[in-house]
Amino acid sequence: MSYAYLFKYIIIGDTGVGKSCLLLQFTDKRFQPVHDLTIGVEFGARMITIDNKPIKLQIWDTAGQESFRSITRSYYRGAAGALLVYDITRRETFNHLANWLEDARQHANANMTIMLIGNKCDLSHRRAVSTEEGEQFAKEHGLVFMEASAKTAQNVEEAFISTAATIYKKIQDGVFDVSNESYGIKVGYGGIPGPSGGRDGTSSQAGGCCS
Amino acid sequence: MEKKRANDEFEPGPILPSQSVDRFEFIKQEQNSSEGLSTSRSANEHEREERRIRKWRKIIGVGGSDWKQYVRRKPHVVKKLIRKGIPDCLRGLVWQLISGSRDLLLMNPGVYERHGPGQRSLYNVLKAYSVYDRDVGYVQGMGFLAGLLLLYMSEEDAFWLLVALLKGAVHAPMEGLYLAGLPLVQQYLFQFEQLVKEHSPKLGQHFSEEMINPSMYASQWFITLFSYSFPFPLALRIWDVFLFEGVKVVFKVGLALLKFCHDDLIKLPFEKLIHALRNFPEDAMNPDTLLPLAFSVKVSKRLEELQQEYEKRNGGTLPKAGSTNRLLQAIKHKELSIKPERSNCVQKDDPSPRILH
Repeated sequence: MSYAYLFKYIIIGDTGVGKSCLLLQFTDKRFQPVHDLTIGVEFGARMITIDNKPIKLQIWDTAGQESFRSITRSYYRGAAGALLVYDITRRETFNHLANWLEDARQHANANMTIMLIGNKCDLSHRRAVSTEEGEQFAKEHGLVFMEASAKTAQNVEEAFISTAATIYKKIQDGVFDVSNESYGIKVGYGGIPGPSGGRDGTSSQAGGCCS
Repeated sequence: MEKKRANDEFEPGPILPSQSVDRFEFIKQEQNSSEGLSTSRSANEHEREERRIRKWRKIIGVGGSDWKQYVRRKPHVVKKLIRKGIPDCLRGLVWQLISGSRDLLLMNPGVYERHGPGQRSLYNVLKAYSVYDRDVGYVQGMGFLAGLLLLYMSEEDAFWLLVALLKGAVHAPMEGLYLAGLPLVQQYLFQFEQLVKEHSPKLGQHFSEEMINPSMYASQWFITLFSYSFPFPLALRIWDVFLFEGVKVVFKVGLALLKFCHDDLIKLPFEKLIHALRNFPEDAMNPDTLLPLAFSVKVSKRLEELQQEYEKRNGGTLPKAGSTNRLLQAIKHKELSIKPERSNCVQKDDPSPRILH
């Protein structure tokens, strides 16, 4: 199937926060309560539409345990978007965000769009991180923020799509040289080549768009 | 909402039909009560009790959902109610709510049930290993090895087999599979990528063009030695050979799979290729087809050379855990009475929450 653009994503965050379940909900529209442990990396893809243009998302889902970072790190390179996930019912997964962000900033390209996701928001009775804290962290670090539930599908589409919309806007603003695939963006055959205005050097803040 | 029922506690105790044993299986004391009144009084009593239970249920909410909020709003009411006694049919739930244990349970779903016999064995083996080898600790992926072993032997035997494999009792130690940064996995992936190029040059070329590298499909093969997602009969057959011949069979099987599916794989674009490399067809997974093909692939010499090349590139041999040499010496001197040094352990990562998810 032809696409106007292809965006590559990576999903990161502590083990057990629901990265694989978010991906499964997004690509297959289903929830698996007992999901296999991710060893190494998993892959998923889906077509979406932004601004009436077909956009292909290719998503790498990574293992969360610290030991695996040497493997998952190589997937930062060439990613246009990252979903950084924590579990709203486990405080420590929120506390580790800065660590993950440091890793991402070190290994990804500087213009990677990062979406912060507080997953498992269906379990609000077990909440250990308030929505405000999530918002605050996102604001401080220039991330887009949403709470979501891979179980109920709440905000799952929105998270993936608004990340794409942010990337799309950056392309329009000429932030990327789209001919350079290391940004995790590919211009498709059916697509409109390049940004309309060319590179004007103004970079938009990551938090600009969405819900 | 709360109506006073102050007279409750002044009512005489219920008069129950004569039974020898109560609901707690205690033998009942004979009560000398005036007959006659008992029927109407116990009916009254029954109604009152019903009302009390309904009220408690309302306060508690479904499964205890409203309890916390009610306590926060009207602590004095709760205190008084409790002093009057918790209805027996709700006592268990309420005890859990007031002690906070209900929250602990909700915050730790599955922790208790998980420790059924099989899970407990797995936990014990992994815990024992993580205590025994603090340099490695517990790493996701180990559970699949231990799980496989436990199907065929006791916990203690599985533990020692794990030790023998990772510390290298017979073959080269494989602890690097699970040491920080998975250094041995990185080395294996490097070796495998080179071997693919050498054994199936066209496919290797196709992989390069499609930007496919072995970490995308073969990490699991090495980290779990095929015990993660391969059909069981095949995994077991591979393990037979692996234990005797060492890790080279993992390379052989991997290369054989690619050879077997070569003509299909070479036509596929990126996404379909990823899918195909993670979902090999059934006929490829037949041990009697795949293993003879695997045994025909020669890798020993190149594996050694590639290891040296990898070490040269990465500046020296893999980091080895401190305990390796000590253990190897112990094995050589047949002094295998190794005990964990301390019983209270500090682990890198607790094995309990994530086993076999």
